[in-house]
Amino acid sequence: MNFLDWPLSTLIFLPAGAGLFLLFVPGRAVALHRWVSLVASLATFALSLVVYARFDPEQAAFQLTETAPWLPSLGISYRVELDGLSILLVLLTALLQPVVFLSSWGSIHEKVKGYTVAMLFLETGVLGAFLATDMFLFYVFWELMLIPMYFIIGVWGGERRIYAAVKFVLFTIAGSLLMLVAILYMAFQYKTQFGTLSFAYADWLKLHLPMGASFWQSPQMLAFAAFALAFAIKVPVWPLHTWLPDAHTEAPTGGSIILAGVLLKLGTYGLLRFNRTLFPEAWEASRGFFITLAVIAIVYGALVSWAQKDMKRLVAFSSVSHMGFIILGMFAGGLVATQGALLQMINHGLSTGALFLLVGVVYDRRHTRLIEDYGGLAAVMPVYTGAFLLATLASIGVPLLNGFVGEFLILLGSYQSQPVAAALGATGVILGAVYMLSLVQRVFWNALTHEENRTLKDMSWRELASFAPLAVCMVWIGVHPVTFLRLSEATLQKILGG
Amino acid sequence: MISLWLTSVLPELFLVFAGGLLVLLDAFLPRLRPALAWLALATVLGALGLRWILPAPGPVWEGMLLVDELGRFVDSYILLAAALALFMADPYLERTKSRYGEFFGLLLWAAVGAMTMAKANHLLVVFVGLELLSVVLYVLNAFHRDSILSLEAGWKYLVVGAFSSAVFVFGAALLYGAASTFSLGELASGINQGWLVVLGLGLLASALAFKLALFPFHAWAPDVYQGSPTPVTAFLSVVPKGAALVVLARLVATVNPQTLTPRWTSVLASLAVGSMVLGNLAAIAQRDLKRMLAYSGIAHMGYALVGLVAFGPDGLAAVLVYLAAYTFMNIAAFAAVAAFSENEEEPHLINDLAGQGWERPTVAFALSVAMFALAGIPPTVGFVGKFLAFRAAVNMNMVWLAVVGVLTSLVSVFYYVRVVYYLYMKPLPKRKPAFSEPWAIRLLAALCLAGMVVLGVFPKTLLELAEGAAAILVR
Repeated sequence: MNFLDWPLSTLIFLPAGAGLFLLFVPGRAVALHRWVSLVASLATFALSLVVYARFDPEQAAFQLTETAPWLPSLGISYRVELDGLSILLVLLTALLQPVVFLSSWGSIHEKVKGYTVAMLFLETGVLGAFLATDMFLFYVFWELMLIPMYFIIGVWGGERRIYAAVKFVLFTIAGSLLMLVAILYMAFQYKTQFGTLSFAYADWLKLHLPMGASFWQSPQMLAFAAFALAFAIKVPVWPLHTWLPDAHTEAPTGGSIILAGVLLKLGTYGLLRFNRTLFPEAWEASRGFFITLAVIAIVYGALVSWAQKDMKRLVAFSSVSHMGFIILGMFAGGLVATQGALLQMINHGLSTGALFLLVGVVYDRRHTRLIEDYGGLAAVMPVYTGAFLLATLASIGVPLLNGFVGEFLILLGSYQSQPVAAALGATGVILGAVYMLSLVQRVFWNALTHEENRTLKDMSWRELASFAPLAVCMVWIGVHPVTFLRLSEATLQKILGG
Repeated sequence: MISLWLTSVLPELFLVFAGGLLVLLDAFLPRLRPALAWLALATVLGALGLRWILPAPGPVWEGMLLVDELGRFVDSYILLAAALALFMADPYLERTKSRYGEFFGLLLWAAVGAMTMAKANHLLVVFVGLELLSVVLYVLNAFHRDSILSLEAGWKYLVVGAFSSAVFVFGAALLYGAASTFSLGELASGINQGWLVVLGLGLLASALAFKLALFPFHAWAPDVYQGSPTPVTAFLSVVPKGAALVVLARLVATVNPQTLTPRWTSVLASLAVGSMVLGNLAAIAQRDLKRMLAYSGIAHMGYALVGLVAFGPDGLAAVLVYLAAYTFMNIAAFAAVAAFSENEEEPHLINDLAGQGWERPTVAFALSVAMFALAGIPPTVGFVGKFLAFRAAVNMNMVWLAVVGVLTSLVSVFYYVRVVYYLYMKPLPKRKPAFSEPWAIRLLAALCLAGMVVLGVFPKTLLELAEGAAAILVR
């Protein structure tokens, strides 16, 4: 069998295969674990570029379909395929994973084997969830992500790691179990309308659930709500966000990067992929509700970020605000806003991932994340200061960097239909600049008050190498966003039109 | 005719004689004691092979026994559970200095009792199987005759078991009064829906609910689980439940061949809901791993019952898959209990698992996967079981039952995950483990692990077998 005939499946299972191999390698061989995981993740990234090369952006439909029977009597098959919505997220995932492994060399020194194996399985889960178009398969991958992440937070995390890990698991499962019932309900509805069982997403698109008089009597609204709850917890939409600051703060650096960079995107991806297309009327009906929540999240997340004393917690709350922007763009409707939302998913993955990575760099040296323990780092660590400044500017949306493009498209698109929400959302941009720049000021510019900071080493080559790909993409998207926007245009047009 | 009769029960005969032989070997050749467990294991595997080599002719012994696909499926499940329990029995009995041939003989006979129940087509045959299974288990529960907990377990199971047997016989007698027959096949045509029949069926169902430890017939389970020798607990937690569930399914299916009457549905659904809610809530409060598994077992029979409530080919197939899934998950968990407990007098505290995940990777990993599987997280067989059970409920327009199922699953995640964080996220206490687990336990853990994951990823064959077996009852 030629693996390149099945590029998507190879892409999905390559990390898990490497993980399985490493499971049988003794934990003493730390260097072997580190190198194999890095090489496997780089190979996955290379494969994602192969997939990208074969992807035709003009085509709106799914492509590169790979399918095999799985449980034929239940209408369940193994089916993975790619379209303009998933390609960017797949590339982002494959890009972030080597960064995570490279960054872990400085931060993970104990139980390296467990960490690399968990990370590799996590990558398989994430890639699978982005590519699966059979709902049973999607659910399996969706839950597959949970267990490695639970271990990553709980074993390698900070002081309150167990609390954070259990909270993460319970929140996530609470959402996904109701989604499971909704999935079963949809399959059953398909059977009653078309006579056969099917869990295929393509089949479900033909399904039309009735809208009832009230919420509780409306099958479409209830199914929409069950899916939306699972995804909204993952995003997280205010007020379901409370697991996020704990999980992000307590997770080790790599865990935070993946969590913020990719796992949150599964929530917004799910809303756009499934809720938007399967329940169009319910989507319309709940538009105002979600836009309100999004605006609250933008402002609330920004204000709470401002008040944080812990750098990681600050970045974590800023995610709540940024994800609010994405929700706003998706629900405001229109191609421009939706494209902005999709691009902003990538941007947030890059810039927040970079910020967590950079916070991890000083944490590895000083083992504290408190802002007050730093100050005046610009003089001691000039390269680091430059990198942090770049990530900050990208995050707050300075023109010619990625964040600007996403936020601009979202605000432009949503202003047409939701001027008030767009105006309120725009305050989030200003607040974002306030809290991020005040962070930079307190950490890098203020007087150097702690003597132990005087001897800090600047970023090593390894750390720079892990930051570099993110920096390149941040600039690339900022300068030439069309490279990325054109990938999703046809698909998004189809999703919005259909 | 005689040859057909004999071949149809050949696996059972083989087990009965082999069990007797093991007891005799222990008496006359005590040198062979270390090999007894493996002889018993070979016998069980032999019986399993025989069951699949020999044809399944359907009704035999004048229609008393039904050796059909359903019987074959459940027999396989019982024999598999017995084989897995035997894996952990030898090292366990050696450590607790109670390696006697009786143990293995009794275990084989218990399996025969359960197999008889699973294939019985006659209420008295059910009763004979039930009594064989129960009487043997009374002895096995109290096998550590010096341990007060073990004696308590045996005694409790005896009292409750005798009571439920009496209830069963009384129910059977009432049905005989109504239909003048004990045969399940003739019952279906002979009875009306008078109060005598309702009472009789209700009593039969209650007696089986005792064996299944369904709420509100569950009170014996935690103490018996805790006190019994761990391999017996493992056996007890899966085999009688599977047999009783199949009897219940056969009973319900012969009386109401197509769908359940609303009365049956409401009774079974309330048993299921009560078991799921109480089992999962009470399990949270447990500090002893075995007691926690007892309450989780109550909840899991509730989930399996969801399939029976839904009925139809989907529902019964779900029940059968659930039983197979439950076997692997539960036995993996008890294998870990056997590996981690040093002394039967001490409680098996969850706290004592702290940090063991990094010390004993294989067993701890199997235990963790078992916990995730019991919680119903893919890609494990536990998820497949729950998925099928809830699917059956949704297909019968009982979405609410599926919602109760998932909400209680959510509760269960909390206590299952707690075991995992003790294993991996709490530091190892100063006290070093006194012994390392023997290879048999490690092999058993690996086998269960493979079972849970492989059947979770490739459930097709298992599902097809279950669907074939379920088709016997409901067409």
